[in-house]
Amino acid sequence: MVISKTRRKNILIAVLLIALAGAGVLWYLFTEKFGDTRKEKADYTMSAQNLIAEFKKSDSLANKKYAERMIEVTGIVTAVEPADTTVNIKMADSTGSYVIFAFQQQHLADARRVKAGDSLSVKGSCSGGAYSEILETEYITFKRCAISK
Amino acid sequence: MKKTTLIFALLISGASVFAQKRTTTSGTISFDATTSLDALPRAENKTVVAALDPKTGGIAFEAIIKSFSFVNPMMQGHFNSVNWLDSDKFPTATFKGKITNLAAVNFSKDGTYPAEVSGDLTIHGVTKTISTKGTIVVTGKMISATAAFVVKVDDYGITGKAIEAGKVNKEPKVSVAVSFN
Repeated sequence: MVISKTRRKNILIAVLLIALAGAGVLWYLFTEKFGDTRKEKADYTMSAQNLIAEFKKSDSLANKKYAERMIEVTGIVTAVEPADTTVNIKMADSTGSYVIFAFQQQHLADARRVKAGDSLSVKGSCSGGAYSEILETEYITFKRCAISK
Repeated sequence: MKKTTLIFALLISGASVFAQKRTTTSGTISFDATTSLDALPRAENKTVVAALDPKTGGIAFEAIIKSFSFVNPMMQGHFNSVNWLDSDKFPTATFKGKITNLAAVNFSKDGTYPAEVSGDLTIHGVTKTISTKGTIVVTGKMISATAAFVVKVDDYGITGKAIEAGKVNKEPKVSVAVSFN
């Protein structure tokens, strides 16, 4: 079978386009960065107390449901803790079990203004929870957080 | 009599504060597994639970694996996947150890002290004994500690194509920073 010159040219162009698209996808995957949490949609919106209660009931079930999900958590701040050069915000229940939020760089300034006793909503990626043998309490951690209100 | 009671009470409370285990819920652990082929495998966990008992020199850490925050979503996915840390199955990493040169560290006097730490590090469900050097800084009531060491991923059964291809350092540097206020 003889392939015409035009056809050969078209095939070459198609192959090049596919290769370019592939390279584009790879480039995207390797250079992609997590977006600004403030612009992300929350998968769940709930109180810190309810979130803690759910993890205390069964952290394996709660981990399946909430880990790596974007959650907006509302509650009273019980502590603002220095974490190396940054700060974390913590909301604890009466037994000492807690949820703790580590912030995205661009939202750290907001977090630094927060004080214990403040009532606020924090949105971030839930990293899941575990029982701490050290503290003998349940703890839930968040990353890439932003204060939403 | 009253004075004696007061002094006695102060002594007891002072002793109990000194003997008390110190804890933090905002310890930081970061690791750098970058190579010349790939600058992505590095991450930081700022919500590590840590404890220090100044009396016995006992040190402990607990870190939720999914708390390691990467810049790149794909790399974070790889890190947590079944092939690497398998964080669904092994959700935490822990360390339980001791300061082995406790006599060289004076927790009741401001200063910078070199510390030697030895203990059991559990990652990916595998426990290995490690030893490292660190620094302890005492400033009033605050105790800060830093340490950096290398973890051999082979020791912990962490494998994968990217690791074998040299894109991920097989001996990433791990840095730890904690402050007990």
